[in-house]
Order: sequence, then structure tokens, then C-alpha cells
Amino acid sequence: MDHFNLIVFLGLLLLGYVAGRIAESRHYRSIRQREAELGDVLVFASRFPPDFRVRPQTLVGGSVVVGEDYFKSIVAALQKLVGGRLKSYETLLDRARREAVLRMKEEARQKGASMVVNVKFQTFSIPGRNPNSLRAVEVLAYGTALGPAMPRG
Amino acid sequence: MSLPPEYANPPLPEGINVTRTHPLADFARLLGGVAVVVVAVVGVSAVAAARLARFVPFSAEAAAVQRFERVFPEAGGGPVEPWLRDLTARIAAASRLPSGMTVTVHYVQEPTVNAFATLGGHVVMYAGLLEKLESENAVAMVLAHEVAHVKLRHPASTLGRGLVLGLALTLVSTATGSDMVGNVLGPAGLLTVLSFSRRQEREADEAAAGALATLYGHTGGAPDLFRAIEVQRTGGSPPAFLSTHPLDAERIAAVESLARARGWPTTGATRPVPPDVRAAVRRATERAAPGVVD
Amino acid sequence: MLVTSLEIIPGRRVAKHLGLVQGSTVRAKHAGKDLMASLKNIVGGELKGYTELLQEARVEATARMVKQAEAVGANAVLNVRYSTSSITQGAAELLAYGTAVVLE
Repeated sequence: MDHFNLIVFLGLLLLGYVAGRIAESRHYRSIRQREAELGDVLVFASRFPPDFRVRPQTLVGGSVVVGEDYFKSIVAALQKLVGGRLKSYETLLDRARREAVLRMKEEARQKGASMVVNVKFQTFSIPGRNPNSLRAVEVLAYGTALGPAMPRG
Repeated sequence: MSLPPEYANPPLPEGINVTRTHPLADFARLLGGVAVVVVAVVGVSAVAAARLARFVPFSAEAAAVQRFERVFPEAGGGPVEPWLRDLTARIAAASRLPSGMTVTVHYVQEPTVNAFATLGGHVVMYAGLLEKLESENAVAMVLAHEVAHVKLRHPASTLGRGLVLGLALTLVSTATGSDMVGNVLGPAGLLTVLSFSRRQEREADEAAAGALATLYGHTGGAPDLFRAIEVQRTGGSPPAFLSTHPLDAERIAAVESLARARGWPTTGATRPVPPDVRAAVRRATERAAPGVVD
Repeated sequence: MLVTSLEIIPGRRVAKHLGLVQGSTVRAKHAGKDLMASLKNIVGGELKGYTELLQEARVEATARMVKQAEAVGANAVLNVRYSTSSITQGAAELLAYGTAVVLE
């Protein structure tokens, strides 16, 4: 029947909403927890930290690809018709950015660093089947990690 | 290693880069707003298209369809089609069909219980429906109903409406980048289309009842048609607003109230269907299992 | 709140470095403007609708970044950079980020 399409659509929408909200809140919980843990690795966008000339430096980075759920894509499609802020994608990008920064901090900590400077971001969107639709968003965060100060003498 | 105290990362508050709205409330508001606008725009342009389509002269419509006349299957002799054509000619006269408009009836020897009118004044009558009708009056009601559709240019305006709807759906699909959105808003727009065609059916019923009264002096036979169709429907009909034909009880009531208003008798002597026609129709339907009502 | 792409402000000293702050926004122009832009593509030239879109996005992203800086108690944001990426056709994300500092 003609309504089959509508039923499938509503089913996917409901699934997307429920599963998407669960996944998102779980992700945010993990993000907040790790932000507290990695709070001692400091990040700055500036380029001239204290005594950088006596510290070893390595490039560190973290990246993540976060996909959207069906509910988000439908809401975004409607918001695009109307114009203005795409609220459903804001959380997507926020999560992706924070996750990327956290992964960069983890790599920095593994290298014994306590500070990451000159942090920069790259955002890239992966289009869906339709050139008008989004499938996922990739965020790369990278910077220079400063290792422990070399012993003087 | 300790850092100078002037380097710190105080925790940042949430909610600056994200907007705190409940996604479902947001979605409901958006969908409602967009659906209202789409239905309004589509509704208005569909009405406009339907009205404009009537200004296309019938001769142009007939000429356009001429190329496809071979699509209509041949009846291949037998008494049924000539009898139907003769009845149609009488009905066309009683309906005061404008000159230049011709109605051509095609009899199809299949058990489908249906009849319809399409572009160019072509009407198709299936053996399945004919078999269910007990009197010439009931058959005349069917033919008069289809003739009324042709006279009122309903096939042309339905085509115009369909084109506008298809165009609107394509635009919405590409603008939103989601096929599914078009599929959802499609039914919303479809609802407005359905109610137009239900009005068209009502208009055709009224005109047909008038033709019947002119031809036979009464509208008896019309209810028989609706009852025959009603009996055929097994397993419940869809709710009224989703189907294109107004429900059969409504149709019977509408014809009867119109007859009362115009002072036409609702019962009277009905003419039987000629026996050779009956036999030919029965032969055609016995060849296969019965079909489905539209 | 001083917002600058400079690293070192002449005549002022940084008392506290308060870390990375970001402001981002995702915006789209409505379907009508989108259609006009598609038509403009036939002749070429500046797509005013999209220019407006990105300008609005930049203003909003900068405002959000400043809000984050205020929340951590900064009075300036240094080394501000912008990053734009297109999220599907007709919608763009604009990220503004920098280091929040207390200048004296």
C-alpha cells in the first residue's frame, strides 16, 4: 500500500531518534569524563609557550569521524528548507571537535607531554548518497606537544 | 614537571556551541510548519492547474490521445460493444454533451469490476462490472457517470494536478536533499488531491443522476449500482478520506437527496439487459477468477 | 574583550593563559536563496546570498568564542583563527578558535 513508505520512514525516524539520543548521551558522558582525566594536559592555540627552546617537541594529533543518525538528517533537511541555524548538526560537530582534542591530548600524554601548543583544526564533511545530504563529519585536531623540560647542566 | 601557574585550562561550560532545544519539539515545529506551507502551495497550484487544464480545447486533448488509441483492446465482435455504444449515444444526448465532444466506449472482456473515463473521451467498461449489474438502468448509470467525467473535463484537470504535484515533490526532494522528506510530504499533498477528485466524483454522480432521470424518467437503478459495488468489497474499505470514491452509502444518499430536491422519482420500471448481452458477459467473466474493485 | 589574530600585543603582558576556546556555528540559507544562487551560477559572479550566510556565521561563531572566553575569566582572545567547511550543499560550518588570556 502507499502508506508502506510512510511507515518505513516513521520507523527509521523513531529508531534514529532513540538510538541516536542514546549514542549521543553516552558519547558526551565519555567526553566529559575524559576531559576531567586529561585536564592536566593543557592546550593552547598560541605559538610561544614558556621556554620552548629547551623542551623536546613532537607533532601530535587526534581525529574522529562522527556519523549522523536518520533523525538528525531529517531535521537538518527541514532546517535547510527554512534556513538559519542547523541545530541538529551543532551537537555533531561539538562532539567531534571535543573528541578530536581528547585524542590529541591522549597522544600527548603518552609522549610524556604536559602541554600542546599551536593547536589547529581541520573539519571535513563526508557527503551522503545525495550530494545534498551529509553522511559524517571528520575533525582533525593537531598541535605541537612539549615534552618535559630537559635537565639543565 | 611543573608549569608556571599562569598556564591553565579552566573547564569550559557546556551549551555555548550547542543550542539547548528538545530535538522532538524542534522537529515537530519544523515539520508542522513546512507541511502546512507545502500543502498550501501545492493545493493552490493544483487548483490553478486543474482550472487551467479545462481551457485546453477538447479537440487538442483528443488529438493528443489519438496516437495511443491502439492501447484499447478490441472487443472482437459480439453484441456487447454495439449495445453499449448505442446506450452511450442516448446518454450523451440526454447529458447535453457539447458538440465536438465525442465519447467512445470500449468493452474489455476481463473479469475486473471497474469502469473508467480517460483523456480524449475514451471510456472503458469491464465485463466484470457489467456482470454485476442487473438492469439497463444500472449500466446507464455507470456510463452516464463516465460521460459526466468527460463532459466536465475531469481527466484533463486530473492530469494537470498530477503534473503540478510531481513537480512540487521533485523540488522539495532536491531542496532538502532527502528523498524521504518528499515521500512524507507527498502523502500530505496527496490528501488535497484526493479530496478534489472526491468532489469530482460527486459532481459526476449528480450529473449522471440527472441524465438517468432525463432518459428513463426516474433514478431507479442508480442505488443498484452502488450496492453491487458495495457487495463486491470484502474485508473492509479504507477510511473515507483516504479513498478516491466517496463511500458507497454516501453516494446512494447523495443521489437520493438530489432526486428529492429536483423532484425526480427514485423508483420506477427498469429495463432489463438484453439476454444475448448477458450471456456474452457471463461467458467473458467465467473464463477467469473475479477481479478486484478499484 | 579584545579579539585579535596577533600573538603578542605590543605594550601589554599576558598575566594568565587560559587555554583553547572555540566558537562554532552551522548555518544554512533558506531554500529560496539557494534557488537564486543556483540561477546565479549560470552567469557567475558573487553569490550574495552565500556571502551573507558566511558573514552571519562568522559573527555568530566569534560571539560564541568570546562567550567561552568570558566564562573562563579572560579579557582577550589571542591568535584567533577561522576554519570553514561546507556541510552539504547550501550549509556551512564556521569555527573560530584562539587562546583566551588575561592581559594586563
